[in-house]
Amino acid sequence: MTEYDRRRFLTQAAGGLAALSVLPELGLARVPSRSEGLKVAVVGAGRQGRAILGELGKLGVSVAAVCDVDQRRLASGVRRASGAEGFASVDDLLSRRPDIEAVAIATPTPTHRAVAERVLEAGKHVYLECPLAHTVEDCAAIAAAARASARTIAAGLQGRANPVYKLARTFYRTDAIRDLVAIRAQQNEKTSWRTAARDPARERALNWRLDPEVTIGLAGEWGTQQFDVVHWYVGRYPETVRGSGDIRLHDDGRRIHDTVACTFRFADGADFQYSATLANSFEGAYEVFYGSNSAIKLSWSHGWMFKEADSPRQGWEVYANRQQFHNDEGITLIADATKLASQGRLQEGIGLPYSSLYYALADWITSIEEGTTPSCSIGEAARATAVGIAAHQATVTGDEVAIDFSALT
Amino acid sequence: MVRLATEAMGTRFELVLADRRRDESFLRAAGEEAVALIQEWHQRLSVFDAGSMLSVLNRTAGSERVRVDDELMELLAACARLHRATGGAFDVTVGPLMRRWGLRGDQAGVDAVWGMDHVRLDRDRRAVWFAAAGVELDLGGIAKGHVLDLAAELLREQEIQSALLHGGTSTVVAIGEPPSGAGWTVRVAPLPDAPVVVLRDRALSASAPTGRMARVEGRAVGHVLDPRTGEPACGPSHSAVLADSARDADAWSTALLVLGERPATIPATMTTLLATAAGWQAAGPETEHFRRPGDSSLGEGRSA
Repeated sequence: MTEYDRRRFLTQAAGGLAALSVLPELGLARVPSRSEGLKVAVVGAGRQGRAILGELGKLGVSVAAVCDVDQRRLASGVRRASGAEGFASVDDLLSRRPDIEAVAIATPTPTHRAVAERVLEAGKHVYLECPLAHTVEDCAAIAAAARASARTIAAGLQGRANPVYKLARTFYRTDAIRDLVAIRAQQNEKTSWRTAARDPARERALNWRLDPEVTIGLAGEWGTQQFDVVHWYVGRYPETVRGSGDIRLHDDGRRIHDTVACTFRFADGADFQYSATLANSFEGAYEVFYGSNSAIKLSWSHGWMFKEADSPRQGWEVYANRQQFHNDEGITLIADATKLASQGRLQEGIGLPYSSLYYALADWITSIEEGTTPSCSIGEAARATAVGIAAHQATVTGDEVAIDFSALT
Repeated sequence: MVRLATEAMGTRFELVLADRRRDESFLRAAGEEAVALIQEWHQRLSVFDAGSMLSVLNRTAGSERVRVDDELMELLAACARLHRATGGAFDVTVGPLMRRWGLRGDQAGVDAVWGMDHVRLDRDRRAVWFAAAGVELDLGGIAKGHVLDLAAELLREQEIQSALLHGGTSTVVAIGEPPSGAGWTVRVAPLPDAPVVVLRDRALSASAPTGRMARVEGRAVGHVLDPRTGEPACGPSHSAVLADSARDADAWSTALLVLGERPATIPATMTTLLATAAGWQAAGPETEHFRRPGDSSLGEGRSA
């Protein structure tokens, strides 16, 4: 960034309010203009599928059909979808409801390729949950199918549509942290990651995340979202990853680690440390970019900047909203801050009103309606997933794994 | 035995799963699914979260018909039914009235619009709208019971035959009985003389106007208001209801504080307990399930 660009950005941010002026996207108004007429189906009615149904409801999108192979989950999804028709298979859905225009896919990761290829072949707009697949080969196949489609295909890497993340990235890209020192991210949650299943068939279908044959573990299933944030911010991918893992709490016969740690190495020598656990929930999920002038911390609904004492002041900081974190004081990054401040409602902007999923789905629906490109393409998701797969391999083997995208091209 | 807990709806939910036929990992997984369901509904119904479905409804239903899903429509229809059955003593639109009395940390004395009659439900079109400006829904009086019913239903679908679930200790659902047998023993209020009740496949909700209080013109005002008059309820100091549904028990235990006595319109299958000046008054089909702290039965219409 040139000195002129830098000065212009800071001038625009004057008032201390970290302006992101393009945002009606906080979305306090509901209902995209034409989306009530868009015929949408959701495939997969587990926890994520139900979350998608809930967020589409807030967006004013009527879901016409829900599909799940599990009868109990299907019934639950249909109840959440208000008048939707239920289907037990994707083929059945596509053959009996040719009027469906767009499909959100939230099935287990190892099934993404088969479902996505079938839906893309039928000519539908697609929102595909991430990670994209459990193998790099499947990622490549999905990316190829997406390239061949003329429809709007969005990948569910939610950081790219998140207003706080977009705002913080503007700061990052305008040198607010100065020299990147290190990156750290974590996802902590206390849960067994197991679904109660009363017979072996359901056990295999529902507990695929604990199946060493198909799972990509915590690093792949959870980490991919956060790895993409890092790639999107720093504008490059790591070259190698080392990992380790252990079962620290859920010693219930599983062979998948409940706690993992990875170190990614970039070409310039910068390190990115990642950890995840199912044994403790402290501080949940976050990403921190440490720079020589400041650190930026992101936690999906919130973002903060922590300035070093010797970093230059631009003037606006004295007006900014702040939060204390033990010995450090964070400047709250508030999307749409200029507008909210002008209305005397700045406090309302602390923390996003909706989940990241809401903004990702809104981005997809808007892209369909306006014929624009979604925030996250399948190609970007394929690379982030490949990083997640490599990280999982590293935690399983304990070896350094090279990150290689050649199979994706 | 597996014990799980989560913070939701301004209180602590706890689940104890004690089915000895199932191993611990199965019980934990089933319990975690129930906890996730509680969290999901917390996020849907919170009036403190601008992104919740209920907040979206409150922002928009005053100016347009808002389409809601079957689950929310069914819950709102139950609220309307309970409002009618209680003669207006239970009302999920009293949020603005609570603010008027300063019970939300707000300035007391502001104008308030409330009344379930202003809430329009079109079940065929799954649409909700408000017939007056300023109307708001706050399901705090029924949400705990509702999610506990759903969580218990989920556990029963997993064929779990022994569990106890509670939200903030005031709303309880019992599935089967503990391994020791003889049902789950629960004290109905945090008072030394409060009766205990033995629960088996039944829900209990206990209410009291104390807890959240405000001072208005020098007098203490409890958080239970009479929606019919707009004034603080002046009924009994405690109420409890035994019912098949925790949701219905929640609504009726609040309504009893407003009504002051067991009304004729209450379903005959519900058992009630009221703390009056004359002592604890039990009525309904299970009065023998209530016991004094000394372990003697609290019979029909009798006081301790």
